Amino acid sequence: MTLPSRALSGRDEVVQVNNLSKKYGDTVAVNGISFGLSKGEVFAFLGPNGAGKTTTVEILECLRAPTGGEAKVLDYDVSKRSDQSEIRKRIGVLPQDFNAIDRLTVRENIDYFGAMYDHQLDADKLIELVDLKEKRDEQFKTLSGGLKQRVGLAVALVNDPALVFLDEPTTGLDPRARRDVWYVIERLKKQGKTVFLTTHYMDEAEYLADTVSIIDHGQIIASGTPNELIDAHGGKKTLVIREAGEDGLKFLPQGISKPQLKNEGDIYIPLNNGELTNILIAIGQTPLANKEIEVRRPTLDDVFLNMTGRRVSEEGEVA
Amino acid sequence: MSRVYTIVKAHVKTWFRSKSTIFWTLAFPLLLIVLFGAIFGTGNTRFDLYVQNQDLTGSTPTLTSQGYVSALNHTGAFNVQFVPAEMSNPVSYVRDDAQLHNRGQRLLVIPAFFGENLTTTGKASVQIFLDQSDQASASLFGVISAVTSSYAAKLSNSTLYVSVQQVPIVTRNTRYIDFFIPGVIGMTLLTSGVFGAVNTNGRYRELKIIKKLATTPLSKIEWILGMVGYQMFLAVISIAVILLFGRFVFGVTATIDIYTIGLVVAAALLFPGIGMVLANFVKDADGAEAAANAITFPMMFLAGTFWPTETMPTVLKVIANYLPLTYINNGLRDAMIYLEPAQALTNTVIALGLAGFFIILGSVLMSWKEE
Repeated sequence: MTLPSRALSGRDEVVQVNNLSKKYGDTVAVNGISFGLSKGEVFAFLGPNGAGKTTTVEILECLRAPTGGEAKVLDYDVSKRSDQSEIRKRIGVLPQDFNAIDRLTVRENIDYFGAMYDHQLDADKLIELVDLKEKRDEQFKTLSGGLKQRVGLAVALVNDPALVFLDEPTTGLDPRARRDVWYVIERLKKQGKTVFLTTHYMDEAEYLADTVSIIDHGQIIASGTPNELIDAHGGKKTLVIREAGEDGLKFLPQGISKPQLKNEGDIYIPLNNGELTNILIAIGQTPLANKEIEVRRPTLDDVFLNMTGRRVSEEGEVA
Repeated sequence: MSRVYTIVKAHVKTWFRSKSTIFWTLAFPLLLIVLFGAIFGTGNTRFDLYVQNQDLTGSTPTLTSQGYVSALNHTGAFNVQFVPAEMSNPVSYVRDDAQLHNRGQRLLVIPAFFGENLTTTGKASVQIFLDQSDQASASLFGVISAVTSSYAAKLSNSTLYVSVQQVPIVTRNTRYIDFFIPGVIGMTLLTSGVFGAVNTNGRYRELKIIKKLATTPLSKIEWILGMVGYQMFLAVISIAVILLFGRFVFGVTATIDIYTIGLVVAAALLFPGIGMVLANFVKDADGAEAAANAITFPMMFLAGTFWPTETMPTVLKVIANYLPLTYINNGLRDAMIYLEPAQALTNTVIALGLAGFFIILGSVLMSWKEE
């Protein structure tokens, strides 16, 4: 049973953030950011480590007090003590690097955290949702990283929250375990849950999110759907001809953007509008026609690179 | 309350599933009891005699008094132990030292000016402190009187008179093991309380469990109550196991009264409170555990767990007075073994006061939200 929410203002905005800031002494962690999150959407807060993602999320979770600005969650003010208890009843949280209690089983952990709320969902249904039926009676400490994270997801959902915060839910997981977590988040999306996701993985945001805000140095530098961001800031598509070698360059038509040779023989050609057809026709009768050819669409990685001049590594560090 | 119950239940399950925790809370204290019981024995020798010679010239016993002690020694009837002359409460000293070494609690005091009185007035007296319930008291008094008369006669051909005044005392007819068992209970409450709080708060913070709980409707007070409830459970289990073991293996009889309960409640608040204070100052779990070791081990040894504080050097005795465990240990002994309600009450009140102070300090310092 989901708890009744206040009548939400605006376009069903479950999170409203206006000019929010947080300082630690002279260090500005969050610098006057504003954004909103609509009911039923998966929102990704994307940025490298130290950008201000977790600080923002923890303000919204009522774990930290903001230094300035305002933030409302489900129309309750995060700065008001009386509103904080209402927020806590209605949100679900998976903190970054969360671990449940080692020596309790999966089911016992879900029941443990469920008992903190007045209402809780059936633990077995949650276990089914996160696909942990076979591990139901295993102690948490025996589970792999991916399975532990799925327990964390079940725990975050135990009060049937109106809004779920997932702080870096796949950090440190292997690719398969990451995919498994994505699968659970997709299920939540299908159920109409509103999800606030923080991540430094560009592909994760692109794959899961309806809306993305990119944060860097405590400021939001771009917001929109993944496609909007890529179209606006991702740059040109790229034609890649695999293993063409330096000799392959001479078969390319004149007047195209300057091709680059990468990975010891792959040719990369930035594409202007309409250029793709001309190039393909031009190389159709040359040895390049027998090579592996692909068109690479820009990603959020390219968006971040174009906007900041830096890339984000697998570990979330900027380079 | 259901949240508090859930927390207690989870702690208990976790405890029950951890073999090492069970060892430290239950098996280790029993092991200590067996070891110390075997080392110090459980017998009750009844021919020991403590002697305090206050008849000094400077810091040296006078020849007369020294001769008197030699005469006692020569009978071969006594195992003489000396009480330092400057000891202001020799009866109390004897009580503790005798208990530690499983000796009979009998004290002979040779007063100051014993020799001088004897030579100038021809009369002197010594005092023998005996418990009437001591089966050897009558014969001992007889032997001492006879030795005393014989010594006086030897000193001079004239008539010298040394009287032996018997002072009745009530001794604690207890053995070392009776003394030790409440100490082990105190030690167990100390370690499980401090380490429980340090480990739970330190580790749960590292695992982000506390952060997760802080995003739920659970309050900090409920969390702390859950921890205290768990400590109460551990205390009850530990006490039951230790007392049953003491009863069946060493025949120790202990009384559980209102003071015992008060002291257990105090310990269940006091030691987690200390642990929470430590966990606050040393944020990472390993560091906090090291700090807990640094606090608990000296406290365990200095607070009269293994031997009476009375038998320790003066500096350590002063330190012991500032250690919370001292009051728990003393209170438990007064309540469970010695049946001295007035002293048990004093210790219980002090322990509860300290418990209130530390649990409130720990609660205030414990960070529930992020800074």
